[in-house]
Amino acid sequence: MRSLTALRMVIHDRSSTAGALLGVIAIVFLVGQQLSILFGLLNYMSVLVDHSRADAWIVSPNIRNADAGNLISVRYLDRVVGLDGVKWAEPVLIGNGLFRTTDGSFESVRVVGIRRPSIAAGPWRYFQSDEKALLDLESVTVDRLDLSKLGAPLLEQVTEIGDRRVRLAAVTEGVRGFQGTIVFGSLDKVREIARTPPGRYSAILVGYNPGVDKAALTAQLKQILPKCSVFTTSELSRLTRNYYFTNTGIGSSFGFSTLIAVLIGVVIISLTMYTSVLGRALDFAVMRAIGGRKWDIAVVVISEALLITAVGLFVGFLMLATLLNVTGNSSIPSYFPAYVAPVLAAGTVLVSLLGSVVALRVALRADPASVFH
Amino acid sequence: MKLVLEKIARDFSDGRQMRRVLFPTSLEFVPGELAVLSGPSGSGKTTLLSIMGLVLRPSEGHLFLDEREISGLPDLEAADMRLQKYGFVFQQPMLIEGLSVRENIWLALAVQGGRVPPEAREKTEDLLTQLGLEGTSHMQPRLLSGGMKQRVSIARALIKSPDVLLCDEPTSALDAESGQGVMGILKRIAVAEGCIVVVVSHDARVFPYADRLIKLENGRVVSDTRESYSPQKEDAQ
Ligand SMILES: Nc1ncnc2c1ncn2[C@@H]1O[C@H](COP(=O)(O)OP(=O)(O)OP(=O)(O)O)[C@@H](O)[C@H]1O
Ligand SMILES: [Mg+2]
Repeated sequence: MRSLTALRMVIHDRSSTAGALLGVIAIVFLVGQQLSILFGLLNYMSVLVDHSRADAWIVSPNIRNADAGNLISVRYLDRVVGLDGVKWAEPVLIGNGLFRTTDGSFESVRVVGIRRPSIAAGPWRYFQSDEKALLDLESVTVDRLDLSKLGAPLLEQVTEIGDRRVRLAAVTEGVRGFQGTIVFGSLDKVREIARTPPGRYSAILVGYNPGVDKAALTAQLKQILPKCSVFTTSELSRLTRNYYFTNTGIGSSFGFSTLIAVLIGVVIISLTMYTSVLGRALDFAVMRAIGGRKWDIAVVVISEALLITAVGLFVGFLMLATLLNVTGNSSIPSYFPAYVAPVLAAGTVLVSLLGSVVALRVALRADPASVFH
Repeated sequence: MKLVLEKIARDFSDGRQMRRVLFPTSLEFVPGELAVLSGPSGSGKTTLLSIMGLVLRPSEGHLFLDEREISGLPDLEAADMRLQKYGFVFQQPMLIEGLSVRENIWLALAVQGGRVPPEAREKTEDLLTQLGLEGTSHMQPRLLSGGMKQRVSIARALIKSPDVLLCDEPTSALDAESGQGVMGILKRIAVAEGCIVVVVSHDARVFPYADRLIKLENGRVVSDTRESYSPQKEDAQ
């Protein structure tokens, strides 16, 4: 009967319910949208590492993220290839170049030179054409979402990156990095574009044979390559994300905007619940007079808050899902890991309970004697 | 069963000092009798009723229900007591908006949680019929007239067959006809069910329903008469 009473009150007090609902939805939607952008950006940060299909990355020592390292010698490649348990080792060269767009202006792009695109570090999804198109020396890829930025070049169109002739051979899908447009090409073409010395690469990617003891093999790599850093792919991914997260202000700016969203939500919920309970003060006094304990009043108020939160969560997540659907294929970074949803829901419940504390205190003060006046 | 007040007194602070609003009062109430508590405004009627209803603590004295001392009960026990033994009718119907008529009545049974037993659902319909409210059980209180609402609040008080029924000016917000109706019901049902009924009122139209008339002035009982009351006597005095 207490929860029914709460439900009836929530339905009856439409305007305050709507207000509190708005607070809950604001929290779910705003924080959820912030989170999806954050996770989208986090994905961008380590996109090349995460999709490299490698088990280990050999890079220059003392790197702080996957995008800034010294070049390392090709000699290491030979040492690694012969090891037991190593299936393949592939060099990767990453540099920057200016892409001449269709209208003659320039866009800075990140060029990724690879040797065997189907094995390591190549594009992972194609919109047009496929990895075979990349086998040619001059071939490069552009991502679908970057096409318009680059002047909408057509497939097979010839242009220049870093004054070097390239041909658009394939269009990738969902290949976007934190540092902008990613263009894949052959090792030699990227070396020309980035003007790096021969025989030196940004990283050597290693693929292990299935079934090997990965930790042991990684340790062995570290041991025989003391002048390099050896990371497992997930280690390097984490290192890179942490680096950008803490060094670009993304972490704190995200934290700040989330805090604001939560604060706005709490204030809205507090105010509306407070006014609603004030308007019900006499009802709570009546409930006390006819035998309700303080606890029973608390149950009603908390049930009200939980009911509103449940509906708010539903609507908020519905809106969030719609947003994610719309932004999923756009250039707005968005990614919402499944495990975040229950965390966000639990956080929202907590915050709306927090918001109803003031209201609860007012409701508990209802004096049964006041019904006689 | 008896409700016994033993030298009950109450002080209120009026900001600077304590003021005695109710002087030590001893009274005894028995079932099957409708007692009317009357007196001028500010004489302490509501204060006395609130103490009897366990929503206000006396400053002095003791209250017994059925030989058991019930003044000074801890908050939780007082609430249990009110739930189990008491029915209240207030000056205003004080129905909860949003709850239907019957849900308002059920709340009196299940305000501490739990479901409403099926017998109670039946009894609710019976009560509503007896009170001339058939067909209203699903309605929202705001759709009812003042007299109807007050009758719903009587149903809410009677649903649990209380030992003690306390009413504070139950007719003062009603027109004469509805007021008569309400008093008739209180007398008929409550007294027939054998509960202690105390009605606070300074409305002379209520007196004919009284089996006992207690008059309060300045916090003191000045008269307590059991003989059946007639308005002519008052005029003669
Ligand atoms: N909570 C309180 N704090 C201070 N004084 C109070 C309080 N409640 C009642 N009083 C005082 O006690 C006196 C008696 O009040 P009470 O409400 O019992 O009178 P009453 O006989 O019911 O009057 P009325 O017919 O106007 O309802 C009044 O002078 C009132 O001001
Ligand atoms: Mg009064």
